[in-house]
Amino acid sequence: MSAALLLGGLGLGAAAALAGGALPARSRVPAAAVFTVGACVAALAAAARVLASGETITVHSAQVLPLTGVTLSLDPLGAVFVITTAVVGAAASCYNVGYAAHGGGARTGTALLPLFITSLLAVPAAGSIATFMAAWELMALSSLLLLLTGHRRPEARDAAQWYAVMTHAGAAAILLAFVLLGAHAGGQSFAVIRAGAAGVPPAVRSLAFFLALAGFASKSGAVPLHVWLPRAHPEAPSPVSALMSGAMVNLGIYGIVRTGDDLLGGGQLWWWLAVAGLGAASALFGALHAAASPDLKRLLAYSTVDNVGLVLIGVGASGALAVKGHPALAGLALIAALFQLASHSAFKGCLFLAAGSVQHAAGTRDLDSLGGLVRRLPATATLFGVGALSVCALPPFSGFASEWLLLQGFLRGFSAHSAVTATALLAGVAALALTGGLTAAAFVKAFGIGFLGQPRTPEAAVAREAGPSMVAGMALLAVPCVVLGVIPGTVMPVLAKAAGTALGGSADPLRASAGLAIAGSTDVIQPALLAAALTAGLAGAWALLRVRARASARRAEAWGCGREEQTPRMQYTATSFAEPLQRVFEDVLRPDRDLDVSHLAESRYFEDALRYHTRIDDAVERGAYRPLTVLTARWGELARRAQNGSMHRYVGYGFAALVVLLVVLA
Amino acid sequence: MQLLPLLRPLFSRPVTECLPRPPAPPGGARFPGSVQLRHVDAGSCNGCELEIASAFGPVYDAARFGARLVASPRHADGVLVTGVVTRNMAVPLAKTLDAVPAPRVVVACGDCALGRGPFGGGYGVADSQGVLAAPDVAIPGCPPGPVAITQALRTLTGR
Repeated sequence: MSAALLLGGLGLGAAAALAGGALPARSRVPAAAVFTVGACVAALAAAARVLASGETITVHSAQVLPLTGVTLSLDPLGAVFVITTAVVGAAASCYNVGYAAHGGGARTGTALLPLFITSLLAVPAAGSIATFMAAWELMALSSLLLLLTGHRRPEARDAAQWYAVMTHAGAAAILLAFVLLGAHAGGQSFAVIRAGAAGVPPAVRSLAFFLALAGFASKSGAVPLHVWLPRAHPEAPSPVSALMSGAMVNLGIYGIVRTGDDLLGGGQLWWWLAVAGLGAASALFGALHAAASPDLKRLLAYSTVDNVGLVLIGVGASGALAVKGHPALAGLALIAALFQLASHSAFKGCLFLAAGSVQHAAGTRDLDSLGGLVRRLPATATLFGVGALSVCALPPFSGFASEWLLLQGFLRGFSAHSAVTATALLAGVAALALTGGLTAAAFVKAFGIGFLGQPRTPEAAVAREAGPSMVAGMALLAVPCVVLGVIPGTVMPVLAKAAGTALGGSADPLRASAGLAIAGSTDVIQPALLAAALTAGLAGAWALLRVRARASARRAEAWGCGREEQTPRMQYTATSFAEPLQRVFEDVLRPDRDLDVSHLAESRYFEDALRYHTRIDDAVERGAYRPLTVLTARWGELARRAQNGSMHRYVGYGFAALVVLLVVLA
Repeated sequence: MQLLPLLRPLFSRPVTECLPRPPAPPGGARFPGSVQLRHVDAGSCNGCELEIASAFGPVYDAARFGARLVASPRHADGVLVTGVVTRNMAVPLAKTLDAVPAPRVVVACGDCALGRGPFGGGYGVADSQGVLAAPDVAIPGCPPGPVAITQALRTLTGR
C-alpha cells in the first residue's frame, strides 16, 4: 500500500509534466498544478505511513534503468524530507497557477516544474547509487532549465552558467564518492554499502566523505561553495526560487546526513568538526550579506545560506557527539537540525513566494524602490510578516521553537566532557547569537523599507494584490510556520524516529509535550501558552487604546525639519538602513564605490553631473572564484597557442602522442 | 595642560547668579515644573542666539528652573522664536509650530520677533504676524539680556 502510494505519487508527477507540456495554453497550468498537488499528497501519505509504522518502503525494479535497475527505499529519515518537499511543492504549484497567468505559462516551464518537484520527491526515496544520481541529475537539469526560462535577461543567463558549472561539479564529486564506497563495498545499493562500510579503509572513507561533503555542501549553499545561490535564486521564477530554497537545499543536508551518519556509520570526529566549521562560516557570512543587500530576493537567498549554516552546525555537533559516544545528545542535536530545516522550508518558501508576489505587483525587487505595500498588498504583507517573524526566531512562530531547540542541543552537548566538542559547540552558540541579530536587522530592513512607509516609486504606488491562487500558495506555507511554532511537540516523535534511523539508535531525548521539553531536565517551553498570553495582551492593549483615545487624533505631516516639499524618496532606503552595519563590517563586505563626476565645459570648477554607484559583491566570489576564473582563462589562452589552425601541426600532435605512448608502453 | 585653572573651581564659589523669583503670570504657570522648547531662528542677526546661549550657560543657568532646549518639535512644549520672520522661513516656522503637539506655547524673543526691530518692513520680511501676532511669552530687548530671558522662561515653569 505504501509502495503503491509512493509510486503513484511519482507517476502523478510525471503525468503532470506531460500534461504541462502537451495540453493547450488555457488548461495547461491548472491541469499540471492539480496533478502535482496530487503527486505531493500521495508522496506525503506514503511518507506519513513510513513514519507512523517505522517500516521502510522498498521497491526494486530491474527494468527502468539499464544495467543497474531502480531501487527506491524510503526510511524515516527520507520520509521527513519527502514531507517537507511535498508541502513546499504543493504550495509552489498552487502559486504557479496565478503566477503563470501573467506572461508565463509557456510549455517548457509548465512541464518542467512538476518534473522538478518529482525529482525532489525521488531523491530522498532513492535506495541505490544509480537511482540517487538519476534523480539528482534530473533535479539539477530541470532546475537549470527552469532558471533559463528567463534567458532574455543577461543576469539570468549568467546565473544559469554559474549554477550549471557548480551543480555538475558537485554531482561529479558525489558520484565519485559513491562509486568509491560502492567499489569497496561491492555493490551499488545503499543497503550493501551500509553493510560493507566497516570494511572500507579509513583513508578511502575520509576521502569519500569529503568528496560527498563538497558536492552536498555546494548544493545546500554552504560557504565557500555557495556562490551560485545568490545569483540563481533571485533570477529564477518565484515558485522555482521557493522550491530551490525550501526543498532543494534540504537535499544537500540529507546527503550529508545519509552519507556520514547512515552509510559510513558515524565517521570520525574531525569530519564533523569540519562540517560544523563550514556551518558557522556560512551562518555568519549569509547573515551579514543578507543584512547588507538591498535586493529583496538576494537578501532571502543569503538568509538561506545563513539558515543552512545553522543546520550544518547542528549536524556537525550531532555527528561529533555521536562519535564521542553520547547517543542521546547526538539525537537531540540532529532533531534540532532537522526541525530547523523543516521550519526553514516553511518560512523561506513563504517569504520567496511573497517576494515573488511583490515583484509581480511592483515590477521590481529592489527595496530602494518599494514602500507602502502594506496598504496595497495586505495579504502578501501579512504573510511576508509571518515569514519574517519566523526567520527572526520570534515567538510564537516556528523559527523560535527550532532555534530554541538548536540552542538546547548545543548547550547540552557541553555535558559530553570533551574539550574539542565543547569549543566547537561554544563557537556554534556564538554564531547562532550573532546571526540572530544580523537576521533581525536584515528582516526589519526588508519589511520596514519594502512594505511600510510611503511608496518610493510610481510603480510601487499602483501595485495590486496577488490573485487568490498565489495568496493560497503563500498561506499554505505560512500555516506550518504558525502550527510548528505553537505546538512543536507534535512533530517531535516524527523527527526522533528520523534521527534514530540516521544515527542508528533510538534514544528519545525529548519528553512528550505540546511544547518542547527536554527529557531528564526542567528545560521546557510552551509556545501555545506564550501565544495565548501574547494574543490576550495585544487584545487588551488594543481595547485599552480604543477606550482611552476618545479625542480624535489629528492627522499631520511627518516632521521633516520644516522642509517645504517632502517626497517619499526622502525616506530611509535599504542602503542607508544597512549603512552602519556595512561600515562596521567593511573589511568583510568590501563594498564597491564609484563616483563619476562630469564638469561643465566652460569651467572645471563647476560640476555638471554626479553619479554615485555602490555595490556589495559576494566576498568569497571576489576573493576565491574570480582569481580562479582568471587563471582558467589564462590557461585557456595558453592552450590556444597550440591551436594555430594548421592541419599539419594537428596531425603532428597525433604522431608525437603515438610515439610517446609507444615509448612509454615499451 | 594647565592643571591649576582646572582645580580652581573645586575651591571657589559657584559663579551662577542668584535670581529673584519673578511674579507669577495670571492663571498660574502654563507648564509647572519644566518646559521643553524648540528654538527656531527665523532670520535673526544672531544677537538673540548669543544671549540665549548665555542664558543656558553656567552663569545664568536657565535649566535649573526647568527650561530645556530640545532638538525636535515633537519633543517640545513650544517654540522659542528669534528674528524677524523672513520670506524663506515663514513656511518652515509654521510647519515647526504645527509639529509641536498641543498644548503648545510660542515664546517670542527679541524686538525683531515682536515686530519692533530695526529690520521690520524690509523686502525680505514676510508679513507673517499670524504666527507671532500674539505670543504667549514676549521677551523685549535688542538683544534681551540673559537675565530677562531666564526670568521670562521661569514664568512658564513657575520655579
